[in-house]
Amino acid sequence: MESVSADDLAEPPPPRAQDGPPAARPAGRLPRGRFPALRDGAGGAGASAGTGPRTGLLAGCAAAAVLLVAGSPWAAHPAVQAWRTVTVAVTVQALPFLLLGTALSGAINAFVPERWFTRALPRRPVLAVPVAGAAGMVLPGCECASVPVAGSLIRRGVAPAAALTFLLSAPAVNPVVLTATAVAFPGSPEMVAARLLASLMAAVVMGWLWLRLGREEWIRLPARRGHRPGHGRWEEFRLGFQHDFLHAGGFLVVGAAAAATVNVAVPRSVLEAFAGSPWLSVLFLAALAVVLAVCSEADAFVAASLTGFSPTARLVFMVVGPMVDLKLIALQTGTFGRAFAVRFSAATAVVAVVAGVVTGWWLL
Amino acid sequence: MRRNVQVLLLVLTGAGLLHAALLTDVCLRFVKEGLRPALVASGALLVLLGLVAAARDGFPTARRDRADRRSSAPGAHGHGRAPGVAWLLFFPALSLLFFTPPALGAYTAAREAPPPATEAARAFPPLPGGSPLPMTLSEFRLRAGQDRARSLEGRTVRLLGFVTPAGDGGWYLSRLVVSCCAADSRAVKIRVYGAPAPPADTWVTVTGRLRPGPVPAAEAALDAERVRVAPEPADPYRDAAPPAGD
Repeated sequence: MESVSADDLAEPPPPRAQDGPPAARPAGRLPRGRFPALRDGAGGAGASAGTGPRTGLLAGCAAAAVLLVAGSPWAAHPAVQAWRTVTVAVTVQALPFLLLGTALSGAINAFVPERWFTRALPRRPVLAVPVAGAAGMVLPGCECASVPVAGSLIRRGVAPAAALTFLLSAPAVNPVVLTATAVAFPGSPEMVAARLLASLMAAVVMGWLWLRLGREEWIRLPARRGHRPGHGRWEEFRLGFQHDFLHAGGFLVVGAAAAATVNVAVPRSVLEAFAGSPWLSVLFLAALAVVLAVCSEADAFVAASLTGFSPTARLVFMVVGPMVDLKLIALQTGTFGRAFAVRFSAATAVVAVVAGVVTGWWLL
Repeated sequence: MRRNVQVLLLVLTGAGLLHAALLTDVCLRFVKEGLRPALVASGALLVLLGLVAAARDGFPTARRDRADRRSSAPGAHGHGRAPGVAWLLFFPALSLLFFTPPALGAYTAAREAPPPATEAARAFPPLPGGSPLPMTLSEFRLRAGQDRARSLEGRTVRLLGFVTPAGDGGWYLSRLVVSCCAADSRAVKIRVYGAPAPPADTWVTVTGRLRPGPVPAAEAALDAERVRVAPEPADPYRDAAPPAGD
């Protein structure tokens, strides 16, 4: 349990919502022993509070500007409207899962004692990684739910390698996804088996890779307030939930907007040029999976519709999609920091493609 | 983001979701019908969270208590603050309530190339009787392209879709079909001959016959006998047959 630093208990004389002496407090409270290199996360060092009316006026102007733009004739251009529709669609589709994930992560933070995790997982990280990968079958939901949960697990003392393996495997091997794959590819149970195998392989390999090559300072988790005095567990849960949801929700919109931009800017006919060559088609579908940002429950149907491509290429699409896409990269940037997101996504993409190709060559 | 703004954001997002999923059918422009209960639950949960936050943290002015003073210094990532990126959430929240963007239409469908040459011809179940026969666009295209028994020949069918202009002055009757959300839409397009092109994005019912051609065929085509403007269906992305009658 994280300790309360002495600074917190000493009350400064209440200033009038102005900038207090910044040197008096650390930028964030460091949990004992876990992450000595922890630094303050995104947004913590934001601008000073400012007076109430000024912020309100700014917010009001911003909202008015957005509404004005939205109502103007420029916004009526079909490309802009399509962009707005796709952005809102991806966001709305993901919101229930994001709520689920941040509720779970808040619950993990507030209710589950740390000891539970150290007992549930094998002590040695090398063994904890495959167990965490298999545990991914438990959390149904799209990838938006797994990122906040993984962040919370790391805070609660789970080895980062195991938490990251869980992050990758949960969206890819949960029962809903496998059922959807079975429905989308009727009469091809080998596709379901291949997906399960390739996704687990990729997730576990990434976990072991992190053990060998990962460094803790790449993970920039925002300093988390621990169990504060004066807050009941439910209040702690509520605050964590609210904070995580707003934080992740903002990044979700970033990812959705990026996916919408690609959707509107790149015509689908580009697909046809790549369907022929076996290697190019694999790489192309992997890239498509990244930019398409489809939820893992439904990407099987999208893969089934890509009739011109080989089964291996479609398998790669389904393996890469839940692990690396624009939405996920944005969420990971928000939760773990940009240095992590870039390295992790790049490595995951490579590992996922290799796992998909190997499994496809063997099973399909 | 100050806590009173957070409350506003939570309540607005929840209200937007409830408006789109519970009070109207606006959510169907973005996602499928199956997600509606989850959206209603999410909206209710967000409104609840916002109200609890308003009660505990104070709204419209933030309650200045012990916890608030502790976290008001700059650089403190205390529980009062959410990061600036959360402002972006206002965009979808407001879009669900005001100036809601329309469902994807002719612009998206026009940019999609026709599908590659379909698979070999195969057998289909027999068509029911009745004329004109209401049918979905997907079934029409499948049968036109792959039906070995050519069951569509000589039958008058009625189809419902929106107008997508083709580059050469002609037009397609089209629908967009989605698997997950509007981002992964695929277009089903039937080329229409024998009628002038209505304005793009108009929803119409077309009564006509299959234009003769080889089977398997790459592009299904229809000789139109009658084109009538129709109301936009509540669920624009679900390929459904038009209601019987005119």
